[in-house]
Amino acid sequence: MADPRLTIARRELATLRSEKTIVLALLIQLFIAAFSSFLVVGLVSLYDPGSVDGYETTVGVTGDAADDLLRVVDEQSSIAGVGYASQASAERAFRNGEVDAVLLADRRAGRVFVTATVPDDSVRTTLVVVQLRDALATFERTERGDRAAFLSSTPLDLPPRPGSGSTPYYGFSYTVLLPLLCFLPVFISGSMVVDSVTEELDRGTLELLRVAPVSTVDIVDGKVWAAAVLAPAQAGLWIALLDFNGTTVRHPLAILAVVGALALLVVTLGATVAVLSPDRRAAQFLYAVGVLVAFGGTTLLPLNPVNTVARLAVDSVGAAYPAVVAGYLALGTGAYLLLRRAVPALGVGDR
Amino acid sequence: MSGRRERVRSAIRAARGGLRAVARIARWEVSRSVGVVDRRTAALGLLALLLAGAVGGAATAAGGVALDRDVYRVGVDTDSPYHEVVVETPALAARPPEVDRLGRGVEVVVADDHVYVADSRKAQAALSTFRDAVRRHNLDRLREERNESAAFPVVVTLRYAERTPDGVVAGGESGDGTGTGTGTGTEDTSGSAGDSDGTESAPSGADGSTSGSGSGADTATGAAGVDAATGSAADGPLGVPGFGGAGGLFGGSTSGSPADISPPFPFGALVLAFLFFVPMNFVIQPYGSTILNERINRRGELLLVAPVSPAAIVAGKTLPYLATLVGVTALVALAIGGSPVSVAAVAPIAALYLAATFVGGMFARSFKELTFVTVSISVFLTSYAFVPAIFTNVTPIALISPLTLVVHDLQGTGVTAAQYAFSTGPFYVGSAVLFALGVGVYREEDMFTQRSVPLKFLDALNSRLKGRKSVAVLSALAIPFVFIAELLAVAVLFVLPVEVSIPLLLVAVAAVEEVAKSVHVYAGFRGPFADRRGWKAALVLGALSGLGFFLGEKLTAVVQLVGLPDLALGRAAFSSAGIAATPAVGLLLLLAPLALHATTTSIASLGATRDRATYLAALVPAIAVHAAYNFAVVSTLG
Repeated sequence: MADPRLTIARRELATLRSEKTIVLALLIQLFIAAFSSFLVVGLVSLYDPGSVDGYETTVGVTGDAADDLLRVVDEQSSIAGVGYASQASAERAFRNGEVDAVLLADRRAGRVFVTATVPDDSVRTTLVVVQLRDALATFERTERGDRAAFLSSTPLDLPPRPGSGSTPYYGFSYTVLLPLLCFLPVFISGSMVVDSVTEELDRGTLELLRVAPVSTVDIVDGKVWAAAVLAPAQAGLWIALLDFNGTTVRHPLAILAVVGALALLVVTLGATVAVLSPDRRAAQFLYAVGVLVAFGGTTLLPLNPVNTVARLAVDSVGAAYPAVVAGYLALGTGAYLLLRRAVPALGVGDR
Repeated sequence: MSGRRERVRSAIRAARGGLRAVARIARWEVSRSVGVVDRRTAALGLLALLLAGAVGGAATAAGGVALDRDVYRVGVDTDSPYHEVVVETPALAARPPEVDRLGRGVEVVVADDHVYVADSRKAQAALSTFRDAVRRHNLDRLREERNESAAFPVVVTLRYAERTPDGVVAGGESGDGTGTGTGTGTEDTSGSAGDSDGTESAPSGADGSTSGSGSGADTATGAAGVDAATGSAADGPLGVPGFGGAGGLFGGSTSGSPADISPPFPFGALVLAFLFFVPMNFVIQPYGSTILNERINRRGELLLVAPVSPAAIVAGKTLPYLATLVGVTALVALAIGGSPVSVAAVAPIAALYLAATFVGGMFARSFKELTFVTVSISVFLTSYAFVPAIFTNVTPIALISPLTLVVHDLQGTGVTAAQYAFSTGPFYVGSAVLFALGVGVYREEDMFTQRSVPLKFLDALNSRLKGRKSVAVLSALAIPFVFIAELLAVAVLFVLPVEVSIPLLLVAVAAVEEVAKSVHVYAGFRGPFADRRGWKAALVLGALSGLGFFLGEKLTAVVQLVGLPDLALGRAAFSSAGIAATPAVGLLLLLAPLALHATTTSIASLGATRDRATYLAALVPAIAVHAAYNFAVVSTLG
C-alpha cells in the first residue's frame, strides 16, 4: 500500500481538479497580472509623453521673456513654439484652437514668472502639462546657468538620456509583476489549507479519517504537501510564460526554491491557524491578517522575499546568493517540522 | 370595500410579521457569530492586529518600503559627487568603478567624467533610474540654497481654461484649498515688482523643503509657489499628513518651480478611496462562511421549515453584515474627511459585494471553492470600481464607478444627484438581481445537494422565469453585469497592441452580450419551457429577449443623455449604436440594434432548444453576426 500521506495529498489535489477551482485560481492570477500591467502601462503612457510618439504640442509664447523661452522650446522635439506680440492675441489663438497652450513669461525681480494656460478638457491636458513641464525645466536649467555665480554649489550634470532600447516597464516587470505572480499562488495555497482543515473538522470527516490507520500528523502532512507543491508549480508556469513573452528570468531554479520554501512556511502557518481556531470564519481572518503582517513586515528587511526574487531575476545578486536561498529553505522546513511536532500535542479533532 | 380594507390590513400585518422575523434572524446571526469567537481566537486576533499596527508604524517610521532595493549596480568612486546620489537611492547599489566589469557586476560606471553604460535592457533601466536620482538630488540641494531667485529662477503658475469661444474661463484650480483666488491676468502683474523684492527676503523656512516664496500681493499671481501645493495638503478637507511632500495631493500641483507642476491626477484621493475597500474584503469572508455553513450537514433545514420566507431568512442573515460595512464605511469617511456622499457612494458597492458573495455561497460546494469565489469577487469588483476612478479628472465616463464620486467628494468638487444615480444605479440593480437569483435557489433541493455550479446557476435563472415576458425582463436586468464584464474586458485587453485589441474587444463585447441575452433562454428550455422546444417558441423567446435587452440598453442611453449630457463622447465607446444627429438616420440607428439583438438571440435560442453542445455551437454564429455589426458601426461612425 502506498504511503497514506501521499494518498491524502492526491485526494486534496483531486478535489481541486474536480471542482475546477484551480482553473479559477489561475484565471484570477492572470487577471491580476493583466490588470496591474494595465494600470502601469496606462499611467506611464499618460505621464511619460516620450512613450506616446507622434503627438506634437503647439504652444503660444508671449511676454517680455518670450524670446529666451522660445529658443528653449524650439529645441524640444515634441513641442513647437509660436511667438505672439501680446497676451490678448495669444489667448485668441488659444481659444480658436491654433495653439494647445499659452505661456506668458515675464521677467521681474530677477526671476521669470510663467503663467501656463492649458485646455481643461481631456487626456490631452495631461500630455500638454507633461510636455510643458519638460520644456520649462530645460528653460529653468538655462536660466539657472546664467545665475550660477550666486549659487553656493553647482548642480551635478545629468547622466545621458537612456537610448532607444530603454523601456519604462523594466523595473515594474521584475520588482512588481514577477514577485506578484510568484507569491499569489503561495497565499492561495495557504488559504486552501485553512479551508481544507476547517472543512474536515466542520463536516466531521476528520473523525472518519482517524478511524483509518493514519495518524493526525499524516493527515496534516498530506494536506500541507499538496498545497505546498502547488505554489512552486504555478510560479514555474508563470516564469515560463514571462520568459516566452520576452521577460527573461535569471536563476529560475533559485527563485522556485525560494517560492517553495515560502509556500511551505505560509502553508504551515495556515495549517497551524486552522488547527488552533477550527471555525473557518475566524481561521480565515487570522490567516489573512497573519500573512499580511508577516509579508508586510518582511518588506522592511533588506533581503525580503520580494526583493530577493526581483534581484535573482535580474541577476543583481552577489556570489552569496545560495546562502540566502538556503536560509529561506531552512526557515520553511523549520516551521514545518515545528508544526509536525506540535500537532499531536494540540489534539486535533478531539472535540 | 370592507374586503379591500381587510386585505390592506392583513398585508400590513404580514409585512410587520416579516420585518419582525428578519430582525429576529439578524439578532440570532449576530449572537451566533460572536459565539464563534472563543477566547483563544480572540487573543490570537488581538495579537495579529497589534502586530499589524506595529508593522504599519515601523513602515511609516522607516520611510516606506523599497521593493527594488539594490536592483541596479552603479560603479562609482567613493569621492565622486555621484557616490552620495547612489547611496541615498534605494534602488541603486554602489560598487567600485571598474569599467571592465561592465555588464557582469555593474550596469553603469561613472569614471573620469564619463558615464559608461552596459549594452542591455537592464542597463538602460539602470541609467534611467540613475538620471532621475541625480535630478532629485540636484533639486534637494537647490532647495537648501539661500539665494532662491538663482536656485529657482522660473516660477510657473498652471491654470486650466475651457476653450469656449466667448472667453477664457479662468480658475479651475482643481481643488487646492488655498482660497486666495489665483485668478491671473495682466492687471495683477503690473506693479508687483516692488512687492516681490520682499518676497525674496521673506524667510519662508516654515515650508521646509519647498521653495515657497509667497507673501505680499504676489500671492494673487501665483508666486505663492509651492505654498499653494502644501497649503492644499494641510488645509484641504484631508487631515492626513505625510502626503504633502509629493505636492498636489488633490489633482496635481498648479504652481511652483517647473519640477513641481504635475498633471491633474487624484493620486492621494485614490489611495484614500481604496481604504473603503479593505473592510469589505474582510467582511465578505465570514459572510460567505455563514451562508455556506447553513448548507453543510443540512444545518439550514430547521430555519427553512420555520414559518418565514427564504427572502426573510436571507435578509436577516445579510443585515448585520451590511450594517457593519456601512458603519465601518462611515468611520473611514470620518477618519479621512469624506462627507456623507462618500458613504452613500460606497454603500451600493458594499451591497454588491455581499450580493455576489451570497450567490457564491449558494453555489459553492466546499470552503475551498468559496475561497476562490470570494477572491474572484474581490478582484473583479475592486478593479471595476478602481480603474474608472483613475480617470476622474479626465473624462466623465469615469462616473461608471461610484468610487469616482468618492474621489470627487474628497477633492471637494461636488456631486450632482444625476451623477449619483448614474454611477450607483447599476450597483443597486445588480445587487438586487443577484439577491433575487440567490433567494431563488434558497430551497432544499438546491441547498443540500452537490449540484455543479452551472446547474445551480440555471436553477437560479429558472426560479425567476415566469411566462414569456420575464425573458425580456431578465435580459434587461442583465445590463449592469454586461457593463461590468465589458469594462473588465477593456482593462485586460488594453495591454495588447491596438490592432489586436480592438477586434478582440469587439468580439468580446459581442460574446458578453450574446451570452447575457440567451443564457436564460437556454435555462428556460430546461425548466418552464421544457415542453415547448419548437423552433417557433425559440424564435419568439429569442426576439423577446433581444427586445428586452434593447429596451434596457436604450433606457440607459436615455438616462445618460438626460442626466449627463457631457457623457455623449464616452458613451459611443460602449453602446453598439449611438443616438444620431438627424431623425432619419436616428430612426435607422434606433431600429438597427433592435433587429440585431432579436436576430442574434433567435439564432442562439434555436440552438438552445436541444442541448448544451448545440447551444454553444449556435452562439458562434450569433457572436459572429454581432461582432460584424459592431465592426461595421465602429468603422463607419468612428
